[in-house]
Amino acid sequence: MSIFEYNGSAVVAMVGKNCFAIASDRRLGVNLQTIATDFQRIFKIHDKLYIGLSGLATDVQTLYQRLVFRHKLYQLREERDMKPQTFASLVSAVLYEKRFGPYFCMPVIAGLGEDDVPFICTMDCIGAKELAKDFVVSGTASESLYGACESMYKPNMEPEELFETISQALLSSVDRDCLSGWGGHVLLVTPTEVQERTLKSRMD
Amino acid sequence: MAIRGNWMYENNGGTCVAIAGADYCVIAADTRLSVGYSIYTRDYSKICKLADKCVMASSGFQGDLKALQKNLAAKHLIYQHQHNKQMSCPAMAQLLSNTLYYKRFFPYYTFNILGGLDSDGKGCVFTYDAVGSYERVGYSAHGTGAGLIIPVLDNQLKSPSPLLLPAKDAVTPLSEMEAVDLVKDVFASATERDIYTGDKVEILVINASGIRQELMELRKD
Repeated sequence: MSIFEYNGSAVVAMVGKNCFAIASDRRLGVNLQTIATDFQRIFKIHDKLYIGLSGLATDVQTLYQRLVFRHKLYQLREERDMKPQTFASLVSAVLYEKRFGPYFCMPVIAGLGEDDVPFICTMDCIGAKELAKDFVVSGTASESLYGACESMYKPNMEPEELFETISQALLSSVDRDCLSGWGGHVLLVTPTEVQERTLKSRMD
Repeated sequence: MAIRGNWMYENNGGTCVAIAGADYCVIAADTRLSVGYSIYTRDYSKICKLADKCVMASSGFQGDLKALQKNLAAKHLIYQHQHNKQMSCPAMAQLLSNTLYYKRFFPYYTFNILGGLDSDGKGCVFTYDAVGSYERVGYSAHGTGAGLIIPVLDNQLKSPSPLLLPAKDAVTPLSEMEAVDLVKDVFASATERDIYTGDKVEILVINASGIRQELMELRKD
């Protein structure tokens, strides 16, 4: 079994009309055994920037701590928050530093940039960025997520519809993956507010 | 076929899907035949009509599929001579299972879906693995794009999912038009993300009046 499948994960982000949504599953496993059902994979960098990390759980936590540290330093020096595009480049650089002994993580970055234009991107474990205009996926359930998102996504969805779409896509996909599931965590971010919700699904 | 050492198979890619309705059955498969990163042809049918109300679609190694189709057609002909009637879909399902298990130790590398109408006129779909293990289900998909398609069918068909326990009668309440539209949608989505799926999709609809065929164009890249 691959090191990326050791803990099991599913993360997805989608772009809507002046908003974005980022969602993940909540299972933490060790091979076939489930250890926790409330594991956090999506982290806040600042009010309008979130990062979801799939892959090996220990690297998820370490990488998050390192990135938050770098962002806090940036805030002290620049006296402002990082733009999502800049943060994506930072994550890419941090990952590539470890090119020959990588962090086993595939990040999904979602944020509202200048003029509140939504920005999403994903990268592989050594920092190759993939910018997308519609949705990005990551984790053991990524193939199912690609299929579900491709069918369910429409451009320019309003926040409520976007929330419904990303929830349905996540739930259908993790139901077909034994390593992810045990509910979902969805964050919907608009220029004025952040809605955070927990989804209940098949608990297995 | 490049036979390296003693590896006797190759995967020709492609995806097939079937959905069972109250009085119809939809079966679809793309028409691309590939090997590695090359395309052999854009116009290859993976669907075979085995009996009046019974159609089989398969993905996997198309050489084995051709042999399997010939085998089943011959057995069906013998059945017709002996019983003076066509085989029903559940009977053909059992025959296919036995034919596959007969080659348990040198299998047909085909992942089959059998679709048709049972003796009550209700849609039925039987899904198989390579060695003949089968189950009657409400919908199924096999092939390189199956992982992309199945979650969408789970979500959209509003029929009891095969994952539920206890197992329920899994025929979808959707109408025939809605089911065909859904099949077209899922193939379009699978084509976007799977390199082995594309070119065209051949959709067969089996209902009381017979078998209707439709071809839809897909992305060719």
